[in-house]
Amino acid sequence: MIELQQVSKTFHKKNGGVTALDNVSFTVGKGNIFGVIGASGAGKSTLIRCVNLLERPGSGKVIVDGKNLPDLSSSELARSRREMGMIFQHFNLLSSRTVYENIALPLELDKTPVSQIKTRVDELLALVGLEEKRNDFPSNLSGGQKQRVAIARALAARPKILLCDEATSALDPATTSSILSLLKNINRKFGITILLITHEMDVIKAICDEVAVISDGKLIEKGRVGDIFSNPSSPVTREFITSSHDVAVPFELEQVLTESSNGTDYPLVKLRFTGKLNAGTVFSETSRLFEVDNEIVAANMDYAQGIKFGVILILVKGTQENVQQAIEYYKSNNIQTEVLGYV
Amino acid sequence: MSEPMIWMLVRGTGETLLMTFLSGFFGFVIGLPTGIFLFMTRKGQIMENSFLNTAASVLVNIFRSIPFIILIVWMIPFTRAIVGTSIGVKAALVPLSVGAAPFIARMIENSLLEVPHGLIEAARAMGATPMQIVRKVLLPEALPSIINSAAITLIALVGYSAMGGAVGAGGLGQIGYQYGYVGYDFVVMNVVLVLLVIIVFIIQTAGDFLAAKTDHRK
Repeated sequence: MIELQQVSKTFHKKNGGVTALDNVSFTVGKGNIFGVIGASGAGKSTLIRCVNLLERPGSGKVIVDGKNLPDLSSSELARSRREMGMIFQHFNLLSSRTVYENIALPLELDKTPVSQIKTRVDELLALVGLEEKRNDFPSNLSGGQKQRVAIARALAARPKILLCDEATSALDPATTSSILSLLKNINRKFGITILLITHEMDVIKAICDEVAVISDGKLIEKGRVGDIFSNPSSPVTREFITSSHDVAVPFELEQVLTESSNGTDYPLVKLRFTGKLNAGTVFSETSRLFEVDNEIVAANMDYAQGIKFGVILILVKGTQENVQQAIEYYKSNNIQTEVLGYV
Repeated sequence: MSEPMIWMLVRGTGETLLMTFLSGFFGFVIGLPTGIFLFMTRKGQIMENSFLNTAASVLVNIFRSIPFIILIVWMIPFTRAIVGTSIGVKAALVPLSVGAAPFIARMIENSLLEVPHGLIEAARAMGATPMQIVRKVLLPEALPSIINSAAITLIALVGYSAMGGAVGAGGLGQIGYQYGYVGYDFVVMNVVLVLLVIIVFIIQTAGDFLAAKTDHRK
């Protein structure tokens, strides 16, 4: 549905050029949700803006629905853009138009008859659950409601593709998850292909089928979300996964934590699961094999496409010898194991 | 004050209002497209064209630099060609409109600059043509600010029209000049001032009201 071939883009500044995109290629299949993750300044905004040519790529092909967009005339491009909806971090709703009129805008641009506009907008208001707000102005809406209006507006002209530019970055966690489930719902219901960019691994995990990691304008890794989470190959990807799943040592424990054992205390161990094994059973295994008790202190585990991953903080209780064997067992099972100290 | 004097003041007020609003209207007819053109051809905007932008900008600046009182005189041949005379209300309309237009153009350009760039981007992403962006996005979004500019412009035109009065344009300006400056009739001069103040207040209040009415940003 969307294919980028060796897309590069350099911005010319006074003190030389800045390469925002460097030979980026990827394909988004029809009906998929494809996520691009990157730190700010990595080039992800430029990337998504190249897909509907808000930004013209310096070189390379942007093929959408079989057409290479940079080759199109401006009227052909306008037609292609109407096949793509776009939503933004800051919503970009017109303050001078009501909710109803904002959603109607793309249809007005298309010169749709008024009666058809009304039917379509009513449908969309119901879809995003904002029937009661139809005559309100955007300034009276919450962030989540604004993004719902923006989604309805993006869908008005029945696009095949939805581009999401940091669509949840300005929203609180609860609103983020409701917007994400709306997007997923739209994807399932209408088979719309979604390309989204974000800096939050949680967004990728929540709704994406495939993910690409971008860093310094280069696409460094891409694949199915489960595969990337279970087996990240680049340090940048690992960093994203780690930062989205971490636990801190509780303050009370930190106060009494000692660096070396005095023989009667127990080690505080941080285990990081990358999904290569069935994390759920290692604790019962060590209990059985080495007669130790694993006391869970804190945990941040997650599940994506059948892969479990995350981090768990435990106190391993038992005789010194057994505890040592248990720790060795964790290590031998490919779990990143780190003894933080003794309590 | 005698009755003929009162009638003269009423007529003068009418002429001032006529000159202000008509020249404001013609000023907008010239200034609005010019302002839109200045904005659209700016660097980073959708019809970016530095040559055309600079050319338009220079032209606007030249007209803005000419003091109004000189503009009236300088334009006499042109005014004669258009309205057939160089004195009276009709003749004053030509330099007033031409004098207001570049001012209005800059005001419009500034109002459009206040529209968040993301809105233009969203419209482009929807496949809007430049004309549609102007009509459906830029002008409606900038409307409160344009109304404010219109009030400022009209008030400036009240002043300009009074200046025109000094060289035979009619209106309150001419009455104030003739009876106040030349004849030193204290009463008439002050009545003229009060009337001008009232006109200015009404325009400003109406402008503020309409701008607030159309502003849905907060």
